[in-house]
Amino acid sequence: MTDVVATNETILVVGGGISGMTAALEAAETGKQVVLLEKNPALGGRTSQLYRYFPKMCHPTCGLEINLRRLKANPRVRVLTQAEVTGITGSAGDYTATVKLAPRYVNENCTACGACADAVKTEVDNPFNYNLGKMKAAYIPSAMAYPQRYVLHPSIIGTADAEAAKAACKYGAIDLDQKEETIEIKAGAVVWATGWQPYDAAKIQPYGYGRYKNVITSVEFERLADPHGPTGGRILRPSDGKEAKNIAFIQCAGSRDENHLRHCSRICCMASLKQTHYVREQHPEDGKSTIYYIDIRAIDRFEDFYQKVQADPSVTFVKSKVARISEDENGNPVCWGVNTEGYKRYSNPHDLVVLAVGMEPSVKGVAIPANVVFDSSGFIEADPANGGVFGAGCASNALDVNRAVQSATAAALRAIQVVNKVARAEV
Amino acid sequence: MSANQEMAAKYKNSFLKEVEDQVEMGEWVKMCMQCGVCSGSCPTNFHPGWEHPPQEIFMMIRAGKREEVLTSPSMWMCTSCYNCIVRCPRKLPITHIMHGLANYAHRLGVAPKNQPTRAFSTLFWSNAIATGRVNELKLSMGLYFKDAEGKINIGEGIKKGLAMKDVALGLLKARRLNPFEIFGGHKCKDQKGIAAMLKKARELEDKRKALPQSGASR
Amino acid sequence: MAEEKKFAAYICKGCGLGERLDADKLAGIAQKEGKMQVVRQHDFLCNADGVAMIKNDVANEGVTHIMIAACSRRAKTEAFYFPNNAVARANLREGVIWIRPDTEEARETTQDMAEDYVRMGCAEVKAMTAPGGNVNTGSNRTLLVVGGGLTGMTAALEASKTGYPVVLVEKSGALGGWAARLWKRIPVHEPFKAPADTGVADMVAQIAADPNIKVYLNSTIAKTDGAPGRFVVQIATESGAVSTEDIGSIIQATGFELYDANKLPHLGYGKSPNVVDQAGLEALAKAANGGPILRPSDGKPVQSVAFVQCAGQRDASGEHLPYCSGYCCNTSIKQAMYFKDSNPAIDTTVIYTDLRTPGNGEDFYRSAQEKGVIFTKGKVATVAPNGGSCMVNFHDLILDDQNAQIEADLVVLATGQVPNSGVNIDMSAEEKADEAAAEAAAAEATASGAEPVQFSKKVSVLNLTYRQGPDIPQFKYGFTDSHFICFPYETRRTGIYTAGPVRRPMDMVQAREDATGAALKAIQALENAQLGRAAHPRSGDLSFPKVRLEGCTQCKRCTVECPFGAIDEDEKRFPLFNESRCRRCGTCMGACPVRVISFENYSVDTVGSQIKAVDIPDEFSEKPRILILACENDAYPALDMAAMKRNEYSAFVRVVPVRCLGSVNTIWITDALNAGYDGVMLMGCKHGEDYQCHFVKGSELGRYRLSKVGDTLKNMNLETDRVKDLEVAITDIDNLPRIINEYAQQIVDMGMSPFKGF
Repeated sequence: MTDVVATNETILVVGGGISGMTAALEAAETGKQVVLLEKNPALGGRTSQLYRYFPKMCHPTCGLEINLRRLKANPRVRVLTQAEVTGITGSAGDYTATVKLAPRYVNENCTACGACADAVKTEVDNPFNYNLGKMKAAYIPSAMAYPQRYVLHPSIIGTADAEAAKAACKYGAIDLDQKEETIEIKAGAVVWATGWQPYDAAKIQPYGYGRYKNVITSVEFERLADPHGPTGGRILRPSDGKEAKNIAFIQCAGSRDENHLRHCSRICCMASLKQTHYVREQHPEDGKSTIYYIDIRAIDRFEDFYQKVQADPSVTFVKSKVARISEDENGNPVCWGVNTEGYKRYSNPHDLVVLAVGMEPSVKGVAIPANVVFDSSGFIEADPANGGVFGAGCASNALDVNRAVQSATAAALRAIQVVNKVARAEV
Repeated sequence: MSANQEMAAKYKNSFLKEVEDQVEMGEWVKMCMQCGVCSGSCPTNFHPGWEHPPQEIFMMIRAGKREEVLTSPSMWMCTSCYNCIVRCPRKLPITHIMHGLANYAHRLGVAPKNQPTRAFSTLFWSNAIATGRVNELKLSMGLYFKDAEGKINIGEGIKKGLAMKDVALGLLKARRLNPFEIFGGHKCKDQKGIAAMLKKARELEDKRKALPQSGASR
Repeated sequence: MAEEKKFAAYICKGCGLGERLDADKLAGIAQKEGKMQVVRQHDFLCNADGVAMIKNDVANEGVTHIMIAACSRRAKTEAFYFPNNAVARANLREGVIWIRPDTEEARETTQDMAEDYVRMGCAEVKAMTAPGGNVNTGSNRTLLVVGGGLTGMTAALEASKTGYPVVLVEKSGALGGWAARLWKRIPVHEPFKAPADTGVADMVAQIAADPNIKVYLNSTIAKTDGAPGRFVVQIATESGAVSTEDIGSIIQATGFELYDANKLPHLGYGKSPNVVDQAGLEALAKAANGGPILRPSDGKPVQSVAFVQCAGQRDASGEHLPYCSGYCCNTSIKQAMYFKDSNPAIDTTVIYTDLRTPGNGEDFYRSAQEKGVIFTKGKVATVAPNGGSCMVNFHDLILDDQNAQIEADLVVLATGQVPNSGVNIDMSAEEKADEAAAEAAAAEATASGAEPVQFSKKVSVLNLTYRQGPDIPQFKYGFTDSHFICFPYETRRTGIYTAGPVRRPMDMVQAREDATGAALKAIQALENAQLGRAAHPRSGDLSFPKVRLEGCTQCKRCTVECPFGAIDEDEKRFPLFNESRCRRCGTCMGACPVRVISFENYSVDTVGSQIKAVDIPDEFSEKPRILILACENDAYPALDMAAMKRNEYSAFVRVVPVRCLGSVNTIWITDALNAGYDGVMLMGCKHGEDYQCHFVKGSELGRYRLSKVGDTLKNMNLETDRVKDLEVAITDIDNLPRIINEYAQQIVDMGMSPFKGF
């Protein structure tokens, strides 16, 4: 794993979500050498955890399949998973990144046959499902996982379970002696595409996330709707497993709020509009969605989508930032607030409340890349001071998938400009 | 002014400017984005006295509805719980703006006359500045012996007093209530100093906020 | 590559295959029926030892064609990476043992299934050749950028910076486009508080100083001929002279026009000089040059201004633009600041329904509020001139006042962007007739001396000589956007990318980002064209369509159907394949009634021979056979993932992945039915408005073609349900096994096909 051949004509892409994969593939398909790093054990990132995309209602895994096929066919991209950059030194055209590789405890012999998972008894939270369900401590991160290889959860290392996994593997794929490694990778340019994380909803105290089981986040809701998710795609509420039919969507849960995130996260309105489709899809007769909003930001062509949802009688729009949520005796979350279009107070019980949580750049607060300029929300700003480090996707702004891919493609070109300059200098 | 022009004048920013100049924290009014979390968070928002909730008042100010805003009993409903301030995504000091507006309406003499909070505040203020200390006995007596219209009503005062007699006895026992306070009562030490302080404060306030000649147009 | 072919089959016994299946029997079948010259079994084929064994056979035994009977073609791709060989994969793991119960009674049918997949794998690899790629398709490295606005200038500069020469064509007399007409722009840097310099002058200067960028002003594209890597473009200059440039790839950055505010008389446009659109305001601001902005009617400084958002936009009535242009909220905020920054006493009100300032736009919005710009949520009904000023009548949605009014010296209408996308080549006959009628009416009115009626007929931008039309197919509302969320740059004209507001309504920040990305795609296209490699989504594919012209009947189906306009017609009306335009979807191959089009690694034969290789048990066996032709991008992975979940499905099916439903030639279905298959399932992506086909039209065209299969069935006296067309998504991991099982049951109930054994 340590023999990554990289030179100062290599482009280092940090983050293996849709932006990072795009930047890596676009650069590689233009003939450049790329090293793609991903922190998790599999590529795909946050979009791979979505059930559908707005506005087409198509499936993110479909695009992921294409990107993975591009990757499998392209020898110019070297993928390292469970890899985190801990430092970058040098300047444009001549960087050295220090990369920490966490042990997988499973080597490339793994055939993904699943015998280790059958042998292991311990169950751990499943992060792919935002911990809404459990998985075996020997696991394949998701059905679309690439590399398609199992992982042993570090918590079982040194236990009998790990030994059981090792004994079950006929192919010598389990290596319990793997240790964390640190390697150095040369690169001419760096594309920083570490994406975003959902804003910590527990910080929005009046909404009771963490206190009330039936208050969940929009990203968790995606897992409930997905056939690969913890409920096999049925929208069941966490408290009692009851089918949720009357669902509230609360916009700007964290975003546009000086107490939380200053910026507008752009995608949340559309995500909620999309999620009303899930409700109707499962309960065409009696599904009900209520969207509480400040402004519906269905920008450009997405307006069509908004208009279609507006025309749907099962969806109600309330111009209001919900003030607080309580829980009634049946475990129903109750939204309290005032509809500001004409001052109407409400206290509406719902089966389930979905918080359209804002987007926080994962790069926020990370000390690397060292000299990079950030804006007040923690996104990477385009700035000459960044040298050969380029922000891409949601590391650079609150973007939807389409714009993230555009941004990543642009970042790939900027990186190519740097390495081409190196190449010209060397001739 | 034709009716039309008068109507149109409403959305001119003159009243907003007046509020910005005259009302404590009034310069924040323009920052509201109409999310409504303030009125939703208000623990008294169920009360019919909230004719217009805060975000609506802000919009009315921007729409130039001077008369309706200043004569509204709404801002007098605020109990200073500060929930709205804590939750406002734009960090508007809503509680202070409510008080500022109430105070301004009061200064202009257009606040609703018998609004209970206003009546209480007036009573409290005159009670407090008289000696530099609040005389609780006089304050509660003053409240008991007034009816809803603000007129003195002996019968009602006795009725209210009797209803509260157990509390009063308890306070007496705990030596928290001294019936002799009715005669003058405690005073603070430097009476003159207090008066001078209040005078100076008034002067400063008047200097900062010269009252406009007439309502809307400046 | 050696002409001598040598075929080898490798049977893996790992992952339970050895226990569940009789590997010796499979090996025997590969040898005898599959005619494989080398047949080897391995306990663990994908490990270093197994792979070394294959590599050794290639190096020392002269093996050229490899058939791997192991896991799915989607698994273990690094291990089984043999780019110089023809490779077929028989999917025994996900396709057989993982979807079958491990029981004694299922053993026989499971083995049958595996044997068939081995037969199919052998048949496929025998019909394949490793694609060599054609490197003689042109190697020009110059980019053509059409449009010299902000997007075009950005694309040109970025491409030049990457080391590629650029030809930049602008129809007007100066570079800069709309951006040059702005006084200031929306800020792009922290603290996002004040309008910023447009930067246009600097860009124009950079282009002038760049010897790598050749600029044509007052020029248009007279003709675009060729394909990526070898475009020949004629540029018509104002003087009438025509220059010819050799071009590798093209970026169309033709921008937008503002929606014609004359169509908004109810908003006062045309009735008062004091009602302007956003461009009108920029002109006023430029004229003011930082001083007070003057009212057009009398030249007095504006004291009050109202901005009407979504003027003629987000219109559900069908009369105006249905979409949101996305940039106008920030633009109005910026323009309101022009007033507030010069004189804070000016009343500025923005009337909006949803204020749309994503990302850091929120800071810009807050900054405007701090400066005293008033935002009112309302719907404007009318704007009426009122003496020197204007009366804006609106419904205040917060105060629920239907009759709210604002009097303003100046009213700015935020009209949206209308793309300059050229001719709509997909216009329906009805739309064409409407356009012709409008043109005639306008001509008549003008001729009769009445008020001249404006009619602007769409003029082609690129003047492509392509058989399918002179411009890029439009997507929606005239925008040339891609339909794809994951792949926003993909147009249906290979090597021609669109960028900026011609693609989607956008602001300057996005346009610059878009232009930079488009520059990469254009560079990538010309680089790949010269190596004979396909563009997205089969990027890197070296195969390309080969046609046996002697068999061609000139039916034109291929030239009409190709979703990417890759095929023209030569002077003898034969199809002319421009392979660097080709995306390798195989739609032409599916369309060809005489089956003369094929790819080296994918052809009527590679699939047809698999279909024929399946052993069809006789009528009395109670073992029906169902052929599944599954889109390799969605249906096939869905089947794989169903298998990973160990969802079981019928052992009667035999699955063949296809590049796209569009590549399915009806001969496959006819052959299958004639061979005695009892049913055929076609699994393709969703088509229609929200189509999910990666070749855009492939699944739609395929379905249309297959809708005619009914006739074949009728002729054969077969039930129509013998062929089933399914729309399958990649997430159908639970649905698909259920649907397959239901269909298998339906076939059993229907009875066996009478065509067995012929």
